[in-house]
Amino acid sequence: MATLTDSSPRFVVDALRGERQTRPPADTTSAPGLRSVLEDGIFEVLGAEKPDSPLVIRSSSLRQLTQSTDISLSPHGRVRGILVNQVLRLLSVGTSVLSPFDDALQAWRLECGAGELLEYVDQLASDERARLETDVTAHSITLIRSLGPVPSRWLPRSAVRATQQLCGGAVQLRDVIDLMVGTTANDVASVALFDVTTSPLGEGSERTMRYHALVQTLRTSIVPLRTSTFSTATGEMWSLDVDAELLIRSAEEVLAAIANQWSKP
Amino acid sequence: MSALIHRRLTRNELNALIDSAPTTPVSLSDDHRRSLSARFRAVPASDHRRLDAWTVERAARAQRSFRWSPTTARRVLGSGALRRIASSPALSIGEAVSDEITDQLLRAASGYARGGSLSYWLANASVPELGLITAEALNWATQVTEIAEGIENDWRIAPSDAYYDVATARTTLRGRRDLVVAFDEHRVVIRVRAGSPGKSAGPGLRSDLTIETLAHPGGLAPARFIGVWPEAGVALSVDATMADLRSGARDLVRTAVAQQRIRALMAA
Repeated sequence: MATLTDSSPRFVVDALRGERQTRPPADTTSAPGLRSVLEDGIFEVLGAEKPDSPLVIRSSSLRQLTQSTDISLSPHGRVRGILVNQVLRLLSVGTSVLSPFDDALQAWRLECGAGELLEYVDQLASDERARLETDVTAHSITLIRSLGPVPSRWLPRSAVRATQQLCGGAVQLRDVIDLMVGTTANDVASVALFDVTTSPLGEGSERTMRYHALVQTLRTSIVPLRTSTFSTATGEMWSLDVDAELLIRSAEEVLAAIANQWSKP
Repeated sequence: MSALIHRRLTRNELNALIDSAPTTPVSLSDDHRRSLSARFRAVPASDHRRLDAWTVERAARAQRSFRWSPTTARRVLGSGALRRIASSPALSIGEAVSDEITDQLLRAASGYARGGSLSYWLANASVPELGLITAEALNWATQVTEIAEGIENDWRIAPSDAYYDVATARTTLRGRRDLVVAFDEHRVVIRVRAGSPGKSAGPGLRSDLTIETLAHPGGLAPARFIGVWPEAGVALSVDATMADLRSGARDLVRTAVAQQRIRALMAA
C-alpha cells in the first residue's frame, strides 16, 4: 500500500508509524531471497571478473540514473542537506533548536572535526554565508514545524549507517538512514525509516525510499514496516509500506546501478 | 585453533551461536600468567603500555592521539545508560542516556572531573553539541538493546570492560565487552562493534577473548566470544580453546614488539 499526501500532515511523526493494530507480522523470510536475487544478478553483470576495488552503491547512485545534473549535489546543496540533517538529529532527541544554522553548524563541526565541506563553509564570503544561513533556516523551520515530538519509547536513532557486502565483497551497498524508529525485536513489523531531503520529491526520492528498505532488510533480515521521505523544500511527505514487490523493485534498481557503474571505463 | 565462525546477525543465528558454545571452558593457570608476564617484560617499554584488540587489529600502527568526540563517547554513555536501566527498569533508553549525561555534568560541576575526562569535555560542550552526543549515545544504547532483547537466555550488560595489568611489565591490557550471557558452568561474551569486520577481526576477537580470560579472577575463559557488527549485519565468533588463548596472547605480545619498533623508528 502506498500513501501519497500532497500536503504535509499536522505532524510528520504521527503519520510515520500509523495504527499499531494494523501492523503486519514481522517478515523474517524475504531477506535470503533478496540476497540471492542480487547475487545472481551481479554475477550476470560481472561474470567471473572481479573489480579491483569494490563497486560501491549508495542511494545517490540510484538518483543519478535519472538525473544528469542535480543541484543538491553542489557544495551549497550538500552543506544545506548536512545541516538540515543535523537539525533532524537534534530534534529527534528533544533538543530545542533556537538558531538552526548555528546549532547545526556547531553539531556538524563536533561530528566531523574538519573536512572539505567545512572548509567550504569557512571560506564563504559574508553574503554567500548569509544566503546559506537563510536557506538552511528556511528548510529547518519547515522541518521543525512539521516533524512534531518524537516519543523516546519509539527508540529513535538518527544517521543510522549500514553496509552490505555482496558477491564476496565485489559490491558494497552503503546507506545512511536519517531517522529510524521502532524495533526489530518485535513480532510485528514496527521499524519505520525516515529520510529528509532538501530537494523537491521526485522519482529519485522513490528510489531512495526503496533502497533504504532494501538495505535495512538485508542488514537485519527483518522487513521494515514503512519507508518515508519528507521534503523540506515543499513540505511534502511520501510514505510507502514495505512489501516484497517494493523490495524486488529496489533490487532491480540496484542491479541497474551496478551495471551502469561497471560499464563505465 | 578453533575456526572463526561467520554468521548473519539475526536473532536465530545469534541464539544458535550462544547455544552451541562449548560447555567445558578452559582456564589459565598462574604458570600461564607468569609466562605471559615474562614475554612482555622481554619487550622494552619506555613508558606504560596500553594494548587492546584495536591496536592488535591495526598491528600497532600509529593512531591519532585520543580525543573525545560523539563517536568515542557514545559507548561509554550508552553502556552507562543501559546499566542504569538494569537497576531501574522503568527508565526509557532516552531518559537513561539523559540521566547519564546529567550525572557526568554534575561530576564536572562538583569539581571531581579531571581535565581531559569525559565529564570535563561534556561540561564544555554547547547545547547543540550535547544534543548530538545524546543522539549518538542513544543510537548505541538502542542498538545494544535490540541485540540483547533477541537473546533467549539470561543476559546482562557487562559491568565494565576487562582490564588486566601484566605483573612487572608496565603493560595494561583492555578487553572490550558489552553483553554477558551466563550459564551455570560457562559464559558467552558479546562485543558490539561499529562498521564492518576487516581481515584482522579474528585476531582482534582472540585478543579480547584472552584479555577477558586473564581478567577473570580464576582465569576461566568464556566458552565463546562473539563479535557483532550491526551496521554490517554480521556476527563472528571464536571458541576458547587453549590454542585460541595462546594465539590471542601471541598477537598481544607481537603488537607490543611492533609498537616498540615504531616508537624507536619515530625517535630516531
